[in-house]
Amino acid sequence: MYRRNGGNLLSSGDFGEVRIEDVSKVYEGGSGSQRVLDGCSFCIERGRLTVVMGPSGCGKTVLINLIAGYERPSTGRILIDGEPVTGPGSDRLVVFQETTLFPWMTVYNNVTFGCRVQGLSKGEIKDRAEHLLRKVGLYEFRDKYPGQLSGGMQRRAELARAMINDPKIMILDEPFRGLDAMTRQLMQEFYVGLFEEIGRTNLFVTHEIDEAVFLADRVVVMTFQPGRVKAEVEVDLPRPREFHMLASQRFMEIRQQVIELLYEEAAKAFASGSKAAYDLVGAIVARNGACKK
Amino acid sequence: MEMIWRSGIKRKVSKIFSARLLRGLFSIVMFVVLWQVVVAIKVPYLANLPYPRDVAAGAVDATGSSTYWFGWGISLSRIFVGFMAAQLIGIPLGLAMGISRTFKDFTFPVFEMLRPVPPIAWIPLAILFWPTRELSIYFLVFIGAFFIIVINVIQGVSNISVSLKWAASSLGAGQRDIFWRILVPGSLPSIITGMTVGMGVTWNVLIAAEMIAGQGGLGRMTWEAYTNNNIPLIVVGMVSIGVAGYLCSMLVRWLGEKAMPWKRRF
Repeated sequence: MYRRNGGNLLSSGDFGEVRIEDVSKVYEGGSGSQRVLDGCSFCIERGRLTVVMGPSGCGKTVLINLIAGYERPSTGRILIDGEPVTGPGSDRLVVFQETTLFPWMTVYNNVTFGCRVQGLSKGEIKDRAEHLLRKVGLYEFRDKYPGQLSGGMQRRAELARAMINDPKIMILDEPFRGLDAMTRQLMQEFYVGLFEEIGRTNLFVTHEIDEAVFLADRVVVMTFQPGRVKAEVEVDLPRPREFHMLASQRFMEIRQQVIELLYEEAAKAFASGSKAAYDLVGAIVARNGACKK
Repeated sequence: MEMIWRSGIKRKVSKIFSARLLRGLFSIVMFVVLWQVVVAIKVPYLANLPYPRDVAAGAVDATGSSTYWFGWGISLSRIFVGFMAAQLIGIPLGLAMGISRTFKDFTFPVFEMLRPVPPIAWIPLAILFWPTRELSIYFLVFIGAFFIIVINVIQGVSNISVSLKWAASSLGAGQRDIFWRILVPGSLPSIITGMTVGMGVTWNVLIAAEMIAGQGGLGRMTWEAYTNNNIPLIVVGMVSIGVAGYLCSMLVRWLGEKAMPWKRRF
């Protein structure tokens, strides 16, 4: 019944596959319409970690809202195991950019929220929650409120809250943004370890190149305004991923490939004056120079 | 052992008599001295003020009589009834207006039309409409707190980030769960703010209402002291009203802290 490490409480091993088929999203505003996504198609394969990358303004967050079912595509459709998405559902779980822990609930109550609203028995909830809290290293902090935790701990609590429902698909929207470099690295390691243990279908959005290549099975690079798929890059680094791989030849090659794909898009965004794109171009130029020698 | 105990006492004593406290005491003493001087040298327009010692004597007299404490009881019970009614009606109404666009469209214009009317301006109408004076005072206290709580609850609901609602629904929460577990606790900080501000306003309204329409209560006592030309009692009444209002605000704040344990840092 349980996959991989068998007999654990983390997952039943029932994972989903998402197909995004020719999806466009247009927002009608006062000053005309804005085409955010344009004919976007790709597949988030079962049991794999797909990373979506692109400069700010490529519609990454909109794409997530569409997959999560918070918004509807203007044209095209999104299928989960062949079924079209019609609204939010507990088969997909989203970890947002900003923390969405409920400030008025303790860590324990946050983590168990999904189970409680679905009416599971107290005993079952407790077993699962305590197992997960130990897993993410927050067992001692279960009675604290989110405001009393550090940024890294909040992210881990959020991962635990998402995982307790054993979703078919986990969607993470720049979840480690705003963490300091060291915490971020530890979180990446922790997260990739969880993924490798459970093997759930994951969609991970980021604009950090190293993060993308380190985590991904496949990187989907998006174009800048309107967002569509520019290229897909297979990351054939072995798993389990470890941090020394960041210095490996293969990692460098893949990273270079992603940088070149991104550069053009980031430059477009840069020309249009986006502040985030400015940062991205800066980072790319710095790294480009560094690794080309 | 005794040494530790003693140094503990010492620390406590030095904590109580900290520099800040001494400065605070100094300012109060200076105020009383200034008051004494103002009356003694008969500053124009202020010469009718009683001496501090007369007020102190008046306070001793008043606090020794049961009518004084009866006044406290009457005022507090009026605040309690009017304020509670405002919360019981205002909080659900605010939640409904915050959640349902349609309901808000229907109700908010009238609400916004009545809200700017100062509560004291309701006094004549309240006296005319309600069969007893007591009911009209309850009503006025209610008005004092009602508009403030409603506007704060609406604000509180709309301030809840949409991503919290999304997060809840993607965790499997239905409308009912979102209401009770997200919207209600999420708007609690605004509810407490509304209650704190509302408590201040209700005391303003209560005192005005008691002076004009009331029988009994601290406001009435102060007004009657004026009609009897008992100036020390006027001052005693003023101070009592201030203390009563302060105690009520403290109570609301204390309740707020109890209701929102997540606001504590540790």
